[in-house]
This record gives sequence, structure tokens and C-alpha cells, in this order.
Amino acid sequence: MTADNAAAAGPAPVAGAGVIHDLGYRHYDGPRLGRPGIIRALYWHSLRSAFGIGRGAKAKIVPVLMFALMCLPAIVNAIALAQHPGQSPIVNYDTYTYPLRSLVMLIFVAAQAPELVSRDLRSHVLPLYMSRPMRRLDYPLAKLAAFTAACLLMLEIPLIILYVGNILSAGGGSAVWAQTRALIPGIGVAALWAVLLAAIGLVLASLTGRRAYATGMIAIYLFLTFTLSTILVNVAQQGPAGPKGGPLGPNAVAPLGARLGGLISPFSVLDGVRQWLGGTNTSPIPPPGSVGFLYGIMFLLLLAASLAGLAARYRKVGAA
Amino acid sequence: MTAPPQLRAGPGPGDAGTAAAVIQTEALTKRYTSEVTALDGLTVAFAPGITGLVGANGAGKSTLIKILLGLLPPTSGRAVVLGHDAAASGERIRTLTGYMPEHDCLPPDVTGTEFVTHLGRMSGLPATAAKERAADSLRHVGLYEERYRQVGTYSTGMKQRVKLAQALVGDPRLLLLDEPTIGLDPAGRRAMLDLISRIGAEFGISIVVSSHLLGEIEQICDQLVVIDGGKLLRSDTMTSFTQVSQVLLIEVDEGIAGLVADLAARGLAPRRSGRRGLLVRIDGEQTYDTVRDAVADLGLPLNRLEQQRRRVEELFRDNGDDEEERGDG
Repeated sequence: MTADNAAAAGPAPVAGAGVIHDLGYRHYDGPRLGRPGIIRALYWHSLRSAFGIGRGAKAKIVPVLMFALMCLPAIVNAIALAQHPGQSPIVNYDTYTYPLRSLVMLIFVAAQAPELVSRDLRSHVLPLYMSRPMRRLDYPLAKLAAFTAACLLMLEIPLIILYVGNILSAGGGSAVWAQTRALIPGIGVAALWAVLLAAIGLVLASLTGRRAYATGMIAIYLFLTFTLSTILVNVAQQGPAGPKGGPLGPNAVAPLGARLGGLISPFSVLDGVRQWLGGTNTSPIPPPGSVGFLYGIMFLLLLAASLAGLAARYRKVGAA
Repeated sequence: MTAPPQLRAGPGPGDAGTAAAVIQTEALTKRYTSEVTALDGLTVAFAPGITGLVGANGAGKSTLIKILLGLLPPTSGRAVVLGHDAAASGERIRTLTGYMPEHDCLPPDVTGTEFVTHLGRMSGLPATAAKERAADSLRHVGLYEERYRQVGTYSTGMKQRVKLAQALVGDPRLLLLDEPTIGLDPAGRRAMLDLISRIGAEFGISIVVSSHLLGEIEQICDQLVVIDGGKLLRSDTMTSFTQVSQVLLIEVDEGIAGLVADLAARGLAPRRSGRRGLLVRIDGEQTYDTVRDAVADLGLPLNRLEQQRRRVEELFRDNGDDEEERGDG
């Protein structure tokens, strides 16, 4: 029923008053997207807001700065290779300057995860979402997908820049092929980072509606565990020699304590998984060797706990 | 002030409970714990038009609304909204229904347009349609240039309008408004009620509007559903309600005790209201005559003789002796 044209209107079917007052109310006869379409719309909305798009200039500062910082090693690498052709690349695809990557992701997740979920909690807007034709867990699902995608963009685009920089100065098809083969595990490792960090960030951010608390909580958790793990690894490495004895050569196996120390921090868990899966490039995390599978288990545990926490949280919030 | 005339050609008396009911509940019960029962065997029908859902705070209004939206499973019984079972077809119901919550639910740092557009998309509208309908909805609730301002800068009245606009944006067939006048000043309440009345009458949308103040919403309703302690107290058309809801406030400077005795002797049941006031139920024109005669016979200085509507609590319990909120002002 369209009431915008009073002349065309017959007897009002609902009001039964006989006269339709032309107030310009138009009913909507167009298509409705249904649940998948709504989740997709929320996904795009959230992905944009993870980078401050659709918000004020201030909201863009941290994500843009962090993205630029993340790209820096790839750009430096490209410039270095352009000036000294033939030199081997200075940045690896799979470790990608592990300390810088950890720091940048720590800040990005701590600053932007609350942007996606804490704001809605703070302003109590969730009942409005729940009154829409979606299910209770659709909201956290869309948010998780969006934030994982945001982290993926943060991690993968620099790898693509790195790749382009490398193949531009690579000589011949075999060199390009070698670069491509090296890139693929790098993309996989970055995906592991994105999946785990997005889930941890969102579940922590969903605990409070206060953005500052959420940011603080995520930053402190990630930073404390990172520091603790680094200290443990260092102490263990300087302690009594490992089973093999002798000074730590490139092929020496680190003491067990050092190999287990990385299990505390999500960042070192991610690097441990990388090495367990066959990554050979060195990083500050000693190769876990025989306990590598523990890193795999820890990764799955952290991920499962985050997802379960997120689901439990929104089951509760949604019922309120 | 007399009973409000039927301004709108809404559903006639006696429509409640017919097959055309917008909402129907059968023995609807919701127990949160073994001690807390929010709804207790509620069986009621909401006819098309504007229905007031009246009850004191904690009577079960918000629980009922959540069950109707399919957000809360009932412990037993069932609810049918627009022909769909609430427990089974919540998503379908939420496509056809707009909901305005009681509490604050607006983020301060987006504009009214952005907010309503986004919630339009969340109602399933494609991007362009969401934009158009958001602009329309905001215009219908009376927000024009303000809609480009951040919601945080709005007055309480404007915020309530945005909440109404987001309920309207998906072109619902039914609106569930939970205490839409809460926090508003008298002028703001009047404007909000006018707006709701217009939406119900002219947009062809059925509306359930909840309130803890009967006097406030009775002016715009076709039907009232009164619940207390999760039970149905009464469900009827407005006309039959206003007859019982009217009381006469008598205020005299002195001799009130004598007047009470005299009125009681004349067959009225006066109740004290404040220090110098009395309330009697109006049973027709003769009530005025009785009161006039009593006051004249006793020779009392009459200060005030005023017809009032009583609060819902007073209507259904005869011991209500509130002073702070008499009638609807």
C-alpha cells in the first residue's frame, strides 16, 4: 500500500476511516535481504569501522599509523633491493620482523577491537540489533569475521608489498617462482596471526563497555605475557646448559625451559606454531623442537577459549 | 473534562479477541526462577489499532514484549504475533515488527541519519532503501536538520524520536513501544503521544504502547490491556475503561471529617487524598449533585471540584492513597 498519492487512494484498508491523509508515509515494497544479507551488512560496517572509515578523522589515526608502520619493513626491503640488485631480501615472509609485527598488532588489536564491540555495549544498542531478524550469535559472528578480515589486511598487505618488491628486483622466472613459493607459507602464518589475535581481542573487548578499560585490558594481557615469555626464554637460555651442552650454536637445541617459555604469550605461541609447522627462519623464539606440538595445542586452546567466551558473552548480553 | 471522544475510526468495541487480533497469547507464563514469575498464565488478545499495555513497574510488560519479539522463550503457554508463533518464528516476527526499548540505546558519536540508516540495513533493507527510509522515518518523527548532528547533542525528546524512527525504519506492520514517554517533560510527552497517535491512525501500523501511567496513554489508545504481577487484570476497549477510571477530587478548607461521614451516608465511598482532598468515584451525573448537596448542606468552603483520572494502581485496588501523582495533571 502506498499512501503517497492521495488521489489514487481508495478506502483505507487498515484505518477504515474512508480518507487517507497525505502525510507522505510510504510503505516499503522492495526486497528484503534476510539474515545472510543482514550479517553481511554488519560485517562490512564493522570492517570499515575497524579502520575508522565512516567515522571522524581521529578514529583513523591509530589504524592508519599502524598500517604504515607494518608496511615499513617491506618498503625498506624494496628500496634496499632496488639500490643493491642481487642482494638477498632482508625481510622474511613468515617471520616478517617478528618484534615489530607483534608490537604493531598489539596496538592495532588493543585500539580497534573495542571500536567494534565495546561501543555497542556502552551505548546499550544491542537490544536494537536483537530486535532485528537475526539470531543471537549472528552479531558476534559478523564482528569476528570483520575483525579477522581487518587483521588479515594488516598482516597480508605488507607481505604482498614485500613480494612485489622482491620480484621486481628478482632476475628470471625461477627467482620469481622461488619468491612465490616462499610467500605462500608466509600468507598462511599471517592468517594464523589474524585468526587468533582477532578472537582474543574481541573476547576481551566484549567484557566491558568502557573503551579505555578494554584497550588497557587487551594491551596489558598481550604485553605482559609477551614480556614474561621473553624473560622466561632468556633466563632458561642462560641457565644450566641443555641436554646437548656447550654454547648455543645455530643448530643447538635450546634448554627445555626456553622451549616451553613461549607458550605463555599468544605472539610466541604463533611463532612456535610456525616453527613447529616447518618454518626455519630464526626468530627470538627458540625452535620448540620436540615440544612443538604443545604450541599447536596451545594455539587451538587459546582460539577455542576465545570463541567460546565470545559466544557465552553474547548469549548473556542478548538475553538481557 | 469528559471522556475522550473516539477521534479515530479505529476498530470498534468488542474487536478484541477476534480472529483479526494482531497479538494473541494463551496461558503465557514466564518464570525466571522458582520465585520470580514475570508472567503468570496471561491470555489476552490485542486488536489492530493502538493498544495500551498498562501495569506498574515490574508487572511484566517488558517481559511480555521480549517474548512477543521471540527473544525470550516462554516457560509455558504461547504467543502469536501477526499470525506467527513467537517461540518458533521470531525472525519472521522481527521482520514485521519495530521495537522501541525503554532505556537509552543510542550511541552518542554518530548522526541521527547514520544511526537510523544502519539499523535500517540491520532490518534487511538494501543500502539505498535504508538511506531513503531513514530520511523518511526521521522526517515523520519530526527531525529535520538535526538529523545531521551527532546523537550525543540531542535533547531527551529528540533522542526518543530517534528511537522511534529506528523502530519505524523497516516499515513494520506492528510497533512495540516500551515506555516511550519516559524521561520526557509534559510538553515532550504530549508531542510523543501525538506522534504515536498519528502513526497508528495514519500510517496504518498497529501499535502496542506500554506505560505505567494509565492517565497518560489512555488518550491515544483504542484498547487497554492491564496487567499486574504477570496476570491479566483487564482487557477492554477504551470506552468501557474511561467510565470506571474517572474520579472526582473534592477539596475543602475545613470540615473534611464531616464531609467524609456525610458522603458515606449518601452512598458514596470517599477516600482521603492529601490533607484536604477527597476522592469519590463518578457513577454518573448524579455523583456531582450528591457532592454539591453534601458540601452545601454542611456549609463547607469548597476549594476545588475536579474530575480526574486515577492511576492504574488506584483503579484496581481500593487502598491507593498516593499523594505524589494524582490523576494525569
